[in-house]
Amino acid sequence: MMDIFFSIALSGLTSGAMYALATLGLSLVWGSMGMLNMAHGAMLTLGGYAAFAVVMQMGLPGPLGFVAALGAGALVGALLYMLVVKPLLRAEVASFETAVLMATVGLATALENSILLTFGGQPLAQPVKSDGMLQIGQQGVPYQSMVVIGVALILMGITAYVLQHTRAGRAIRATTQNRDAAQLLGIPVGRVYLQVLMFSGALAGICGCLVSSITQLSPTLGADPMLKAFIMCVVAGLGNLPGAVLAAFALAFIEAIVQYVFGGRWGFPVLLGLVILVLVWRPTGLFGRAQIRRL
Amino acid sequence: MTSSIRHSSPLQIKLSATSNTDLRIAVGLAFILAVLPLMIDSRYLIGQVILAMFYAIIATQWNLLFGFAGIFSLAQMAVFALGGYATAMLCSYLSWPMALAIAAAALGTAFVSVLIGLACLRLAGVYVSLLTLAIAQAMHVLIVSDTECFTMVASQCRQFTGGAVGFARFGDLGMRDLLEEHWLWGNYAIVLCLFALCSGFTYFIIHSPMGLAFKALRDNPGYAIARGVNRFQSQLLVFGFSAFFTGLAGGVYAAHFQAIGPSILSWSQFNFIIAITVVGGTGNFWGPIVGTLILMAADELMREMGEFRTLGLGLIIAASVVWMPKGLLGRVQDLQQWWGRKHQSHNHLKSSSNH
Repeated sequence: MMDIFFSIALSGLTSGAMYALATLGLSLVWGSMGMLNMAHGAMLTLGGYAAFAVVMQMGLPGPLGFVAALGAGALVGALLYMLVVKPLLRAEVASFETAVLMATVGLATALENSILLTFGGQPLAQPVKSDGMLQIGQQGVPYQSMVVIGVALILMGITAYVLQHTRAGRAIRATTQNRDAAQLLGIPVGRVYLQVLMFSGALAGICGCLVSSITQLSPTLGADPMLKAFIMCVVAGLGNLPGAVLAAFALAFIEAIVQYVFGGRWGFPVLLGLVILVLVWRPTGLFGRAQIRRL
Repeated sequence: MTSSIRHSSPLQIKLSATSNTDLRIAVGLAFILAVLPLMIDSRYLIGQVILAMFYAIIATQWNLLFGFAGIFSLAQMAVFALGGYATAMLCSYLSWPMALAIAAAALGTAFVSVLIGLACLRLAGVYVSLLTLAIAQAMHVLIVSDTECFTMVASQCRQFTGGAVGFARFGDLGMRDLLEEHWLWGNYAIVLCLFALCSGFTYFIIHSPMGLAFKALRDNPGYAIARGVNRFQSQLLVFGFSAFFTGLAGGVYAAHFQAIGPSILSWSQFNFIIAITVVGGTGNFWGPIVGTLILMAADELMREMGEFRTLGLGLIIAASVVWMPKGLLGRVQDLQQWWGRKHQSHNHLKSSSNH
């Protein structure tokens, strides 16, 4: 009984940490820019493959693979800003959200397909991982799970510090609250958007590296975590970062329990049922603020 | 004293002018599609035109939902698949005749879509997209991960939802018995009639008071509700109608190909529909049809490139959204307006220079 509880707890914590990282980047972008980044999953995948390429094909040490994942994600974030967000903001299209959604869907397909063409479709093993287990009494905890949880907690701490205690973080928060007011106060909104996208991309890259170390590298690696991250963002409410992280861990635990009790295929449909219930009961998420729209 | 002369407003004249052009284009298109099989001998090309007509129907219905009613639903392929799967299951498990199964599947699909519309009533914008995306993905996952045997089909295990393999050999459109080796032309005729039916109904919906209600709710929901448009009714109607025709098309698709599997729920198929609507132009009746023409042609050309096809498609979607937000037809309309303005200023200059 104890070991069932332990393994569910471990699985829930590990996947919760990974989903929390994915959700963090998504929620940041959504909250500050009102943009649903459907290319987030592709950035995740790219991060994992970048780490693979750096370590396997260039023969550089493990930690550099980590840095490569970070860099690749940030690069894609910057490209996303230059090629999609900036032109759409300038053109002042009727519906920015849906236009950006469709453009990022297209970019995600293109990115995923280029990864497929470059590395091939068969699953690969992520080299940037640590093997071995730690024995706590009867149970074994894989080192990699501890690494994942540790890295996720560190990154969440860094994000919280940057947002609360740095000038750039204040600019991001100001832009989230009211874009026009921030612009009037002299905050370079374009640059803030670029920073947010690059930061979110970097988070996605690292998350991809971690996810692929637990499972495997494949071109469709990022689709599932991205969808679950969306669900967690929605359940928590738009732009609420601590709420999103909390929702990520809570839903990961629920998923682990459901998968143990009912079987692997019911995890995702149960999450879906939960999100439908939450959205019907509270249309702006559990902790989200109601959006005031001027008509 | 009230004048008995009826002043026709400029709006009225403009409306009848556009419907006149629409009628001419529709007749022309119907004529071309009708004589096409007489001019082309290749079965492959006829098959591709049939596929294009299916895509055009799905894209038109998605355009009705998104372009005209402003509801960004990502569950369009799930609705299509529902129609196909319902048809296949009714034929396989209950041995219903094909026509009855297709009709029942269409009605069932419309019902399920109305339920989805009910769930989306309190949501706006991206939340609708996420909910519909989650529903579509859940359906895909549930079908593909189905492994327990429900029945035995000729000593092979078949799952209740068909699993990763899907359904096959459950019946067809009856053209093989009627026309023997010319059955493809019979199927072509059926699909052409379906295309004409769906497009015609959609056109009438768009140009009816119901269509105006959809557009009003899309443009400014608060104002529309204040003016008495019933949002509840309109939302459920648009979900129901678009799903009925999509489900109908799904049933005929399953019957034509005599197979249905989870591959139509794949993301790349939906990408194609998005690409069609975005390139053609949302909010415009002819947009999806123009988009289908362009993208099927581009797809044939990119077929030579093989593996780069999906990459090209993704880039086309992104580029179209960034550079042609209103699609190709939107650009054409912009050009027309620019030309008209240029002519007007030219005429003003001429008339003022004559004074």
